[in-house]
Amino acid sequence: MITVGIDMGTQTVKVVVVKDGHVVGRGKVFSGFEPSKSAETACTEALKIAKLSSAEVEHITATGSGMEMALTSDSTVSMMGADAKAGVSFFPSARTIIDVGAEEARAVKCDDRGIMVDFVVNERCAAGAGAFIEAMARALEMKMEEMGPLALKAERASPINASCVIFGESDVVTLIHRQESKPEIARAVFDAMADRVSSMIFRLGLTPDVVLIGGVAKDVGFVASLKRKLGLEILIPEHPEFAGAYGAALVAAGRVK
Amino acid sequence: MKSPNETQKKYVPDMAQKEIEDMRNLIQANSKKVIADYIARMKKTSANRPEAMKYFDDIADLFGQRQKEMQAAKESGKKIVGYFCAFAPIELILAADAIPVRVNSGWYDASKIGDRVVPVEVCPMVRSTIGAKMISLSPFLEMSDALISVLTCDGMTKLSEILGDFKPVWTMPLPRVKDSDQSLRFWNEEIRSAKDNLEKLTGTKIDKKRLRGSIELVQKATKVFRRLQELRKGPPVIMGRDAMLVNQAFMWDDITRWTEKTEALCDELDKRVEQKSWACPPDTPRVLVTGTPMIWPDNWKMPSLVEEASPQGVLVADELCSSDRILNDPVGVDEWTMDDMLKGISERYLMASTCPCFTSADGNEDRINWLINKVKDWKVNGVVYYVVRGCMLYAMEYSRVKKVLDRLSIPVYYLDTEYTREDVGQMKTRVEAFLEMLTARVDI
Repeated sequence: MITVGIDMGTQTVKVVVVKDGHVVGRGKVFSGFEPSKSAETACTEALKIAKLSSAEVEHITATGSGMEMALTSDSTVSMMGADAKAGVSFFPSARTIIDVGAEEARAVKCDDRGIMVDFVVNERCAAGAGAFIEAMARALEMKMEEMGPLALKAERASPINASCVIFGESDVVTLIHRQESKPEIARAVFDAMADRVSSMIFRLGLTPDVVLIGGVAKDVGFVASLKRKLGLEILIPEHPEFAGAYGAALVAAGRVK
Repeated sequence: MKSPNETQKKYVPDMAQKEIEDMRNLIQANSKKVIADYIARMKKTSANRPEAMKYFDDIADLFGQRQKEMQAAKESGKKIVGYFCAFAPIELILAADAIPVRVNSGWYDASKIGDRVVPVEVCPMVRSTIGAKMISLSPFLEMSDALISVLTCDGMTKLSEILGDFKPVWTMPLPRVKDSDQSLRFWNEEIRSAKDNLEKLTGTKIDKKRLRGSIELVQKATKVFRRLQELRKGPPVIMGRDAMLVNQAFMWDDITRWTEKTEALCDELDKRVEQKSWACPPDTPRVLVTGTPMIWPDNWKMPSLVEEASPQGVLVADELCSSDRILNDPVGVDEWTMDDMLKGISERYLMASTCPCFTSADGNEDRINWLINKVKDWKVNGVVYYVVRGCMLYAMEYSRVKKVLDRLSIPVYYLDTEYTREDVGQMKTRVEAFLEMLTARVDI
């Protein structure tokens, strides 16, 4: 059985092709101004890698904030529903799935079948999401990818209390003026983000095992901060940014009649 | 009573007359569109919508028939008394031969004008009510000869001070702990002061006969109000937004007429129950909403998302002081003496309220019990806990409510929003995920 999951994210469109339970192709394209076109491009890319034609696909399920713009899809599933499905497929013991993307962070509680039973989303604020790291990297004049490894070198924590991207930036400037070192400032940024994300999870109730997915799961600085805040190990799949699309492809498989 | 002189305003900055008019025209025109749009959407969502809703669709026009009627009554010498919270004793207002009307603002656009007086962190309903007054947007607030402001939350407390720049405001401090004789005595005194104020304003003495008449009038309304909520216990015979509009129309409609029209609606709904003619499929997930009051028209945002979502939900009950809580409890009177009637009024407003402004050692148990009963009796599948930014008391009680609902295995979703239209997309995603969870639509 061949199914496709499309994750119409705020920053990138991710596509995963699943054949008999295995991922056989992935595609990723910037969402840009015409997300529906980007979705098509990502699909073509993924199918090319999978060496399959679109005619062979039995069901396409879209998810993500722009899911209604995925014109070729047969059905949709909420981002939380897709997260739960993917998390439990990666790690059967997973009961809390945390998804941190560019503009949104969310946590989903699920049962052993990967069906969500509760969820929480960061409240109208990007301080707990990837866009925050991007903005802070700009303030520190470095690449976003460099910030994580740098933060691991920090010797101590310098707390900032960021409640939004804009004010977070001025908090960082304060640290710069205090002549804190770059590693410490980088760690402060991740700590602040992990604070927002973890308090959200504590409100939901922390049920292990915990899986982290979404693009930000690739950031070692954030992962280290989040582990410290939650006080437990976090499971991270390979290609965490494709997890939503993978979950959607699994949901699609369940919908093939 | 004269409104205070412009130059003596304590809070509100002066605005040029031209700006006031331009803003009012703009927002009023927009609001008329919003009202028409929501009514059209409510018609579209409900299969076979009750005929009797036609009346409520018309009375929902805040700039229409009811405004004209009240204007005419005012010109013939009637006094109009505006109020903000469901604690205002409408029986007394009626007994003093005045017209009660609730004047909280539900206009999103007006909140931006209120930002000139108070910071954006303040509750948007308060900011919007200030803004509405600054540009004379609300016909009902404009017509009010006096305002009754019950000091429930911080926002309401300062709002009454700010509106004092425009109108006589009678504040009614409310005890925060209700289960004590002292509180009831205190509140009883407040009720008596309200009576004195009303008599002075209208020149009509509230005698036993008049008060009994108004208590009985509101009791009749309560009876039909409860009948409507009872009908929502079964399979969905009316969509939640329609019921909410009926409930809320009580806040500005003529009470006798409202009672007749709601009675007619209930008669029609009874027939539909017999015919098993439902407003939406009977297996539609049943949602209860609790939290910040939702004032018509702009706050129909969240209820509309639920009832227009895919998968669809239906609001079968709520715990809102702008809807199911308006008339839930009648005044109980043992003997029709003045003292007894006033005591009955005090109790109906204080003891029966489930407002989060109260606290008690058991953690505002009254509200919790109301929610548990509603969830059980109305067979609720999930609860949306709705909070507008700055609505501190409801936001703070969330964890308490969630724990209780968790024990009952009732999913609850905390939805926070603002007086804005921009977050509809984001809210839709969350509401649909919640409804998806309720329908367990995710295939296994």
